Amino acid sequence: MTKNKFSLRRSVNNMNLVRFRFWFQIVAFVLIVYGGYIGLDLGNKLPTFACVFNGEGTGGKCYVGELQHDLKHPLEGFVGFAGYAFLISLGMFMVWFWALNKGWCGFVCPLGTMQDWLTMVREKSKIRYSEYSWANRGKIKSIKYILLILLLLLPVMIANSVFGLPKLPNGLSMPFCDICPGRMMIPAFTGHFNQFYIDFSSKTDLVMTTLGMIIVGLFLVGSFVKKRFFCYFCPMAALQYVFSKPALLKLYKDGAKCTRCGDCYRACDMDILEIADDVTSKNLVTEDCTLCLKCVAACPEEGCLEANFMGATIFESTKEGFILRMAMDQRGEKHAH
Amino acid sequence: MHTEHTIETPHQRQNRHKAMEAISVINALKEDFKFPIQSMGYFYDLFETVYCRHEPLHEGKVKIGTMCIQIPSEIIYALDGVPIRLCNGFYTDDEIGSDLLPQKSCPLVKATVGWFASDNFSDKPDITFSPTTCDQKTKAGAIIESFGHTVIDVGFPRTKESEESHHYWRESVKSFAVKLSKFQGKKLTRSNLESAIKKIGYAQSLYHKLTEFRKNKAVPILGVDMFLVTNAFFFDKIDEWIGAVEKLVAELEQRASAGVNVAGKASPRIVYTGSPPIFPNYKIPLIIEQSDAVIVADETCSSNRMFNDMVAVDEWNLYDMIDSVSDKYLKACTCPIFTQNDDRIRRIIQLVRSYSGDGVIYQAFAGCQVYEMEQRSVLAAMEREGIPILYIESDYSPSQHGQLTTRVEAFVESLKNRKRMKK
Repeated sequence: MTKNKFSLRRSVNNMNLVRFRFWFQIVAFVLIVYGGYIGLDLGNKLPTFACVFNGEGTGGKCYVGELQHDLKHPLEGFVGFAGYAFLISLGMFMVWFWALNKGWCGFVCPLGTMQDWLTMVREKSKIRYSEYSWANRGKIKSIKYILLILLLLLPVMIANSVFGLPKLPNGLSMPFCDICPGRMMIPAFTGHFNQFYIDFSSKTDLVMTTLGMIIVGLFLVGSFVKKRFFCYFCPMAALQYVFSKPALLKLYKDGAKCTRCGDCYRACDMDILEIADDVTSKNLVTEDCTLCLKCVAACPEEGCLEANFMGATIFESTKEGFILRMAMDQRGEKHAH
Repeated sequence: MHTEHTIETPHQRQNRHKAMEAISVINALKEDFKFPIQSMGYFYDLFETVYCRHEPLHEGKVKIGTMCIQIPSEIIYALDGVPIRLCNGFYTDDEIGSDLLPQKSCPLVKATVGWFASDNFSDKPDITFSPTTCDQKTKAGAIIESFGHTVIDVGFPRTKESEESHHYWRESVKSFAVKLSKFQGKKLTRSNLESAIKKIGYAQSLYHKLTEFRKNKAVPILGVDMFLVTNAFFFDKIDEWIGAVEKLVAELEQRASAGVNVAGKASPRIVYTGSPPIFPNYKIPLIIEQSDAVIVADETCSSNRMFNDMVAVDEWNLYDMIDSVSDKYLKACTCPIFTQNDDRIRRIIQLVRSYSGDGVIYQAFAGCQVYEMEQRSVLAAMEREGIPILYIESDYSPSQHGQLTTRVEAFVESLKNRKRMKK
């Protein structure tokens, strides 16, 4: 029982993850949303919603926007140089993404952060969160892939006649941006509310911008009642998941140590059942995982869940850490909340 | 010469018999082993006070009887009640209960029913909540009610994988909280539940500290002492219990650094599983530890299962606290009443690995059908893993001592041989 009292590993495992994440998200939010004002430019291949409509405030740009733009070219163009350029873009996106894996969602994404803030407001107002039934939870999983396919296909169909179908109107050049709540919400934080509009100039624009307004309303209401409501439908999450296997940051589980107590599942904002019930897989970065690591913080079993970066454990579940985070380490009534 | 003759009443006789059962176990714990632990004195005295002298501990308090671990004590403490777990280990009460239940019933259930039938409590429960766990406990509720006690059933699901079960159990716990709140005339609030959760969480964290020492090569505490400590949690004043365990942790820390070993160098390390040893029915654990083995971990509802899982709250509001309290009592539970037992098997294997166990001893009470039924699958799993296991059926009667000792000794000997061969 001679534990090193001041080891770094121990203090990391004992950390208050909620507080750490809260501040980390604020810093990331500031860099992404206001970074442009201090000259920050992380490029336009970011695997997170850094919004191109945020003008000079934005510290970088979202790859989904770029991707739609790239695809709106005649297919012949992709043979040769433009094809290489496209692959290089995609490669850049993958490099960014591999560094943090889905941690982009849980720690960086400004839309994710906004939803977490709304969750905090709800929690403070003592209103219970809503949940999907397990059956519905399973059904909605595919929506994000459908959105991803649409956002890839529609721009292609503007420039090309696919299967002999007529070409689509130019108003659909950035179909996902039209309906993405980020287009309206992120510029609002730099004082630009000009994205809240309905465009009557053409039928397509009318439909798409109206959809956009409805979705931003759903985003605000939805994420107030349901934690991370929007993330269930996020096509960025779908795109990321396609490349998730080789990423450097991982969430590992040692099923032998799992008692299936379900503490991780209860902590999970995305209600991922596998995190508690799967005792055979090692890699638990599932399609909806945001790598927020709340599950690791909520796990009471020594070394059962861990965040791993390139083979090195950086944060793992421990009994001691659990007890500290739940404020069960002292006899007196301590209210840490 | 004037002599006064008093005739012993049935209650006095029952108390005398129970005191005899109790004191022989307490004395065995105190005197049969080397290196006694000073701070265990609190627990020996506690059991003597309650079971030999039959003195009440909770006068003036409302006592809430519970028939299984699934009734959340967090909610009982939050509502100013004292939980008294009524699982009973006395042969005296078992014999009384035998007249009221089928012959092949579980001795634990018979003892509990016998206890109620005799209505002879030092701390009589004012109301009893009975979760519908195994068949015998479920049916016992109505029998106890027929003796004039207030018993309220709390519906408990027998599968834990399904969504319906989760909802059902959460609703059951909510309705339990409402009923108890009415009974107590007190409201369950965010702050009283939070304090209760944290207090019990702290008590559990102390238990976890105790178990850590048992991973050491030199084991500083006996399994039977550990059973007594966890058993005290059934009925003790929680603050006193916490104080006593804090002292015990401090003493074990000293013993661990001094390398005190309550067992021998070659003593096999046993993981104990199956029907719960409840005071004074420490028959099998005592035989094990008197046969030069040491129990380093257990998977039973009177000890590890009661303490291992702590409530984990995400949002410290009433709605989430109640849900997390409910989940604690369902999801990680390895009770054999559930349809599947994979979790229990994985748990036993994990205990063997993390406590460097040499073998497993599986006790099933004769008549505890669910444990008897799981025996085959557990044995098969242990065989697959290469973990030696001994399966024993026993009851509360003092009669088969010789036969059981022979079997346990033979098993312990074989484990010792195995250890030697490995070297």
